[in-house]
Amino acid sequence: MIAFVFSEALRDLRRAGRVAVSAVVLIGISLVALGGFWLLSSNLGRAVAEWRERVRIVVYLKREPAPAEVAALLQRVQDAGSIASAVYVGKADALQSLRRALGKDATVLEQLPSNPLPASIEVTPTPAAATPDGTRALIARLGALPEVEEVAGGLEWVERLAHWQRLLELIGLGVGALLCSAAILTVTTATTLVLHARRQETEIMRLVGAAEILVRLPLLLQGMLQGLLGALLALLTLKAAHSLVAPHLDPLLNVTIGLPTLNFLPISALAMLILAGTLLGGVGGWLARAPTR
Amino acid sequence: MIEFHRVSKVYAVGPVKVPALSDVSFAVAKGEFVILAGPSGAGKTTLLRLLYRAAVATEGEVTVLGRPVADLQRSQVAELRRSIGIVFQDAKLLPGRTVYENVAFVLRVTGVPRREITSRVFDALRAVGISARAQSFPAQLSQGEAQRASLARAIARKPALLIADEPTANVDDAMAAELIDVLKDIWARGTTVMLATHEARLALRLKQRMLVLDHGRLVKDG
Repeated sequence: MIAFVFSEALRDLRRAGRVAVSAVVLIGISLVALGGFWLLSSNLGRAVAEWRERVRIVVYLKREPAPAEVAALLQRVQDAGSIASAVYVGKADALQSLRRALGKDATVLEQLPSNPLPASIEVTPTPAAATPDGTRALIARLGALPEVEEVAGGLEWVERLAHWQRLLELIGLGVGALLCSAAILTVTTATTLVLHARRQETEIMRLVGAAEILVRLPLLLQGMLQGLLGALLALLTLKAAHSLVAPHLDPLLNVTIGLPTLNFLPISALAMLILAGTLLGGVGGWLARAPTR
Repeated sequence: MIEFHRVSKVYAVGPVKVPALSDVSFAVAKGEFVILAGPSGAGKTTLLRLLYRAAVATEGEVTVLGRPVADLQRSQVAELRRSIGIVFQDAKLLPGRTVYENVAFVLRVTGVPRREITSRVFDALRAVGISARAQSFPAQLSQGEAQRASLARAIARKPALLIADEPTANVDDAMAAELIDVLKDIWARGTTVMLATHEARLALRLKQRMLVLDHGRLVKDG
């Protein structure tokens, strides 16, 4: 029975001819669009996640506390809540850091009459608080401490990046859904042609009492085969495009959003695209209807 | 085997009602050879279609193989049809398949085990005398050969009931006589046969029970 269903599905696929080829290509294009947006979005997501992990809040102090006061001050900062770590940076340490950052230009610091840098506390929020709302609230709590001059840091720009990522996902889904609908219609058209070509067989099958599932299953299967072929075509195209474009994009991404490389889609995403293509074809095959007698 | 109890069938063509059968009652026992005779348009094909649930009676009850066919679910209709062999006036062979494949096709789709298919196909082809044309395509067959192939396809499933709707309509007298002989052979092996024909001469020559329809009414049974 399985052999029969498969052989009929292959026969149907051959019958659909050029329309089936169009359906395969259209499914391929749909999944390339979907996969392309997915690839960009997942890389952007990776950048956002990395930046979120690196989030720091710097609490600048009005005056440098005496060494004996530092522990108590750090405790008051910790008491603000949602803090993974708090590290005190004295004025001298800050100047030393600046000197290191300036490198050979550090000599300019010799011209300063006194150390202008304030003492500060570098605060790392807990992962749960490393959100725009969480960091905003933490900044407000820290700013309310009497010793604090100013609080800097936050996640605004990372969130703008995240916003672009979500937008990219939405556009990808929208374009993908539109193209997928067109692909389903094309598979349905191809299958309707098949149904027309095999109407005599269908009629005979029904007249001799074949189970309805045997009439429908080859149609479903040939639709799924079209979808599978479309998905494989899409994966090949995506891989080829990634291999061509990624080496040129990597330096730009490194400078702009700190990503060393543009990663290809993970295996799970590739499996999802193959599944999506197969399902698209299956839906198209199942939706086809022809007049029955 | 078959029971018609006060069966009427009316086709609605838009607002127009066209009666095809009116108040028809008869019964056919297992193993009978029944000729359904009458002129074209008398309601023969409609009556046969009611047997395999291609149509449903407007009034009355049709019972086939012990089942009231109007009440059957879709899967039960398929089950009923697996017990019925049907031969059509136009043979209805699949043009892209050989005679062998045409017969094997219905065996495959009705769940006959693969290992049995070849022997059953050739048994059926031999029974109707067309095994030599097993690899021919329908377009390469004469009308008579096509009808024999159609008969082979119908009997390969070993049906309890064989329905033949004007199988001799498109063949010459000699070929018609041969086809009738084949039908009688099938009947002699225990299959109930219901043969529809508009050819009175042929019907009379067969000397079997005859149901005569005229304008949808059963005017003679005997």
